[in-house]
Amino acid sequence: MGEYLIRRTIQAIVTLFLVTVFTFALIHLAPGGPTQVMIAPGVSPEAFEVQKRNLGLDQPVHIQYLQWMGRLLQGDLGTTFKNNLPVGDILWPTVGNTLVLMIAAWLVTLIIALPWGIYNSTKVYGISDQFASIVSYLGFAMPTFWFGIILQQIFAMNLKWLPLSDMWTYGKQGDIGDLVMHLIMPVTVLSLGFLASYVKYSRASMLEVLDQDYIRTARAKGVKESRVVFRHALRNALIPIVTILGLDLPILVSGAALTESVFNWPGMGRLFVSMANAREYSVLMAIVLVTSVFVILGNLLADILYAVVDPRVQLGRKGGGSK
Amino acid sequence: MAEKVLEIRGLTAGFISDKGLLKAADNISLEIMRGETLCVVGESGSGKSVTSLAIMRLLDYAGGLIVDGEILFKGEDLTTKSQEEMGKIRGNKIAMIFQDPMSALNPVFTVGDQIAETLMIHQGMDRKQAMEEAIKLLGHVGIPAPEIRVKQYPHELSGGMCQRVVIAIALACKPDLLIADEPTTALDVTVQAQILDLLKSLQQEFGMSILLITHDMGVASEVADRIAVMYAGTIVEEGTVFDIFDHPSHPYTQGLLESIPGYETTRGSELYTIKGTIPRLGELPSGCRFHPRCPHATDKCRAMEPGSIQLSDTHRTACWLYQEEAGVKKS
Ligand SMILES: Nc1ncnc2c1ncn2[C@@H]1O[C@H](COP(=O)(O)OP(=O)(O)OP(=O)(O)O)[C@@H](O)[C@H]1O
Ligand SMILES: [Mg+2]
Repeated sequence: MGEYLIRRTIQAIVTLFLVTVFTFALIHLAPGGPTQVMIAPGVSPEAFEVQKRNLGLDQPVHIQYLQWMGRLLQGDLGTTFKNNLPVGDILWPTVGNTLVLMIAAWLVTLIIALPWGIYNSTKVYGISDQFASIVSYLGFAMPTFWFGIILQQIFAMNLKWLPLSDMWTYGKQGDIGDLVMHLIMPVTVLSLGFLASYVKYSRASMLEVLDQDYIRTARAKGVKESRVVFRHALRNALIPIVTILGLDLPILVSGAALTESVFNWPGMGRLFVSMANAREYSVLMAIVLVTSVFVILGNLLADILYAVVDPRVQLGRKGGGSK
Repeated sequence: MAEKVLEIRGLTAGFISDKGLLKAADNISLEIMRGETLCVVGESGSGKSVTSLAIMRLLDYAGGLIVDGEILFKGEDLTTKSQEEMGKIRGNKIAMIFQDPMSALNPVFTVGDQIAETLMIHQGMDRKQAMEEAIKLLGHVGIPAPEIRVKQYPHELSGGMCQRVVIAIALACKPDLLIADEPTTALDVTVQAQILDLLKSLQQEFGMSILLITHDMGVASEVADRIAVMYAGTIVEEGTVFDIFDHPSHPYTQGLLESIPGYETTRGSELYTIKGTIPRLGELPSGCRFHPRCPHATDKCRAMEPGSIQLSDTHRTACWLYQEEAGVKKS
């Protein structure tokens, strides 16, 4: 397992490096070049030259990359055009807020979807199984923003049970109860699509595993049915689910961005939309970078989990049997 | 007389389909004495596995059901037991090993865990005791360096090793009856012989009975005390190894024997194969199930299903050829 993890970690670092190169290239290949991107339009030609030198844009490209990387490694993400604010000061609080939303949605999805899928695998085509199919049609068919607006209309405007939008009620920052009330609708919207597919994944994965010879061996040993399902089958069924979890991370990130816009959640997604309108490229690039780091770390985490649940990974190759 | 460990009476089991009930085992009766090895032989699809799963009451999980009959294990009818009650018997008093040892072991648990689990369930051992016992068992089934193997996962072992582990699991609680469903089919020939030898020596040591399922007459000749020949869900002939090999009476049995390489045949030296294929469950022929493939079939065979007839104390067959001899047309 050690060798496998080292290899995966090296892969993650290489990927991260490629992401920085890609982001850097994006700035330099943007129409008008980096000066257009980094220097506010409408400055005088003299000021333009001064800024260009200050930003190091008169240097050769590879030197510029190294300087940029050096600043990145020190946590310096650059400054905005307007007001010359450090990008980090704007970005980091939204990163935390997005994480709160994503992790909440992810946990809710798993906590509901796994047991539900497992239950359905033991009662195929039962009432619960058919209900899950309906939910999954809803999840696939309903656009996020539309579902979000319907929820807002019913639960915030009509019933007045839940706050319409934002993360905190004004003056109640730090109140967990208040946060939870604000989380309910965005988490519901964000989870619905995932919930449906994870109920399906876990059901399908369990059904496949329950059909395996080693499950029959467990029963032939006199193992209780509950233990057959939750110990012998589940451990194996989780293997493909863990892989999918890692792969779905980018979808979760983009889903979070949409949801944030609908519910005015002060996260990276909303920041991205407003900064795109303001053409604050340095902020947009920082968001792309941070998001990529999330996705890469998430995948690394999934790989580690995968090695924990599947002993065949130890040899550094994926064994047969699992798909 | 020896004690009957297992007695099956009129067992009918199968699957529900849109064509109705498909009887994969039709009115099967068998007995196994203490310490005895009974081999059930027959082609693929004859219902051997269904019968053995029915005895274990694992057929329920394979989508099948027992329709009729009794399965008496040491006098107690297993067909009326709940799955919970069966859980106390399975792996404890009756154990089973399967065809493909590589897929029979759970890939995410160590070999030791999988052996220890049986001991913890049935013998009330704690984990530490059970692991120590697992090491002993591994040594017992001929696995070298058991204290290392016990911590390994199935994918780290060869097929023959895995089958030894499966046998260790089955023998952990010293069962009265071991059901082995084609235990050597997935292994190569030399390993096959080793596993059969191991089963025989363990049987002598523990005095258990074995129900061995195989489609290989050669295997049956080596290990069986008695042989039951199964065809399309019924037992067509049953007798001691000598009855079956020296005086095969049913044309199907004769065909099976003649298809063994090296067996003396009446047809010269070329290898004989029974013509045709085993009928599908929904499409059983009228009369005797074997008649479309039988060289001796008569109109009677096509019209009526033969009953079982006793040829001697130990030997019975279900064929009209003998029915007539024994009954009306004795010349
Ligand atoms: N789950 C199932 N649903 C429907 N029919 C089945 C099922 N399992 C087995 N059968 C049928 O029952 C019959 C007997 O099958 P069984 O597995 O007992 O044969 P077998 O003698 O063990 O053959 P093999 O040598 O291939 O293992 C076959 O016709 C098979 O198609
Ligand atoms: Mg079989």
